[in-house]
Amino acid sequence: MNNEAFSSLEGISVQVENPELETGNFQSILMEIKFSLEQLLEQKKSHIIDLRAMPWSPGEEHKLEKYLGKGEVHIELDALGKSTFYETSYSGIWVVTHYSEDGAVIAKAIEITYMPEMVFSQDEEIKDSLERFEKL
Amino acid sequence: MNEQTLFELLQQQGVSRRGFLKYCTALTSLMALPASMIPTVAHALESARRPSVIWLSFQECTGCAESLLRSHSPTIEGLIFDHISLDYQHTLQAAAGDAAEHAREQAIKDNYGKYLVVVDGSIPLADPGYSTIAGMSNLDMLNETLTGAAAVIAVGTCSAYGGLPQADPNPTGAVSVSSLVKDKPVINVPGCPPIPTVITGVLAHYLTFGSIPELDSLGRPKVFYGQSIHDRCYRRPFYDKGLFAETFDDEGAKKGWCLYRLGCKGPMTYNACATLKWNQQTSWPVESGHGCLGCSEPDFWDAGSFYNALSIPDGDYTRAAGYAVATGVVLGAAVGFTNQKTKATAAAQHTNVTVDDFSLNKKNK
Repeated sequence: MNNEAFSSLEGISVQVENPELETGNFQSILMEIKFSLEQLLEQKKSHIIDLRAMPWSPGEEHKLEKYLGKGEVHIELDALGKSTFYETSYSGIWVVTHYSEDGAVIAKAIEITYMPEMVFSQDEEIKDSLERFEKL
Repeated sequence: MNEQTLFELLQQQGVSRRGFLKYCTALTSLMALPASMIPTVAHALESARRPSVIWLSFQECTGCAESLLRSHSPTIEGLIFDHISLDYQHTLQAAAGDAAEHAREQAIKDNYGKYLVVVDGSIPLADPGYSTIAGMSNLDMLNETLTGAAAVIAVGTCSAYGGLPQADPNPTGAVSVSSLVKDKPVINVPGCPPIPTVITGVLAHYLTFGSIPELDSLGRPKVFYGQSIHDRCYRRPFYDKGLFAETFDDEGAKKGWCLYRLGCKGPMTYNACATLKWNQQTSWPVESGHGCLGCSEPDFWDAGSFYNALSIPDGDYTRAAGYAVATGVVLGAAVGFTNQKTKATAAAQHTNVTVDDFSLNKKNK
């Protein structure tokens, strides 16, 4: 199987020929995001929406990403394949995509948070860093 | 049971903490659990040990094993497979001959009471000679292997419900695993073949939590088979509006309207194709323009033509649709009931597929 061919397909922008062909999830997710933003501000509570857990019509997911736009912060992580984190044009709303080592999307989510948890340095590894410094 | 934990194994492979969290995130999504469960999954996996798995292939076409083994390594499915101890799979070990059989016996002995058995294919009872492995009948091998098993996962419709071998007239007397196994938990993972992520999702659940997932009345994990294809279909809004493709090349088909009248079995089929999709989530049958065949349901081969609608949405449908204004669930249930009845009638009459069923100009009855 040529995985590169699959990956490169994602680079082709999808144009929906029939705007009627929508599941209605687009509107539902916008409502969930709005509610989660309120929770983030008032209760400091983060929320993750797994985009792989719901049905989409062709191009509908792309429409959501286009609607949210891209903001100022883009982060790339290299662990078990690439992961990308970018804040959308709406502050506090992040799009997180995890790829396998051959470039296939293995998880995709919208995170409503100040900063996706995985970006922070992890305590276990900070301890390891300290031990290495102590040996210097 | 391998004494090394999954986390230790990943660490040895140079996987960072972030990599581990990423693995847990993908796994949580794979198991269709809410994202809030990621820390729980991470915590469980830190101490999870690799389970021993014995995979038995009986009357099958190897499509189920292909579905999983040909999935795109090194995706999360590949990683899961790295983290179970697959001690026996005779299709893969055929060249090993007698040594493979000893490996199975050794795995049973070493992991007694803890190992998982995966079965693909049905078991012939009419004459054991229809399917044997190393001179042993499928029934004998199943019974012997199950003695110390913690649970059985019946992968594919043949194993879960008898499938193609059991279709009328069932010359081999094929039966499902669950019709034979009464003293162990049996998890049915039907599909022809099942979605690879569903197979690995079930393995991942056991790996993570050490237990079997919640099952429906047909023994299927609710997390993957809890909703019908129809209810999760992106073409559902067209069904609700009464807009149907009548042939595979008419305007309705081109506009992506509902495929119900072309024989789609989505309303009576419970599976995760509409969300998990196939081939790295590229597409799934309905998105590719073909109705669902209902391959994860019992007796789907004997339910009449794949191209005849189970019930036509202008008879009982109209009445059901009236109720649907109040609740879509009622519509699903009402049409589902009509479909089940039609399916039972088709099965009883054993309607054969004719060349007319493939005609693009056919009229629905």
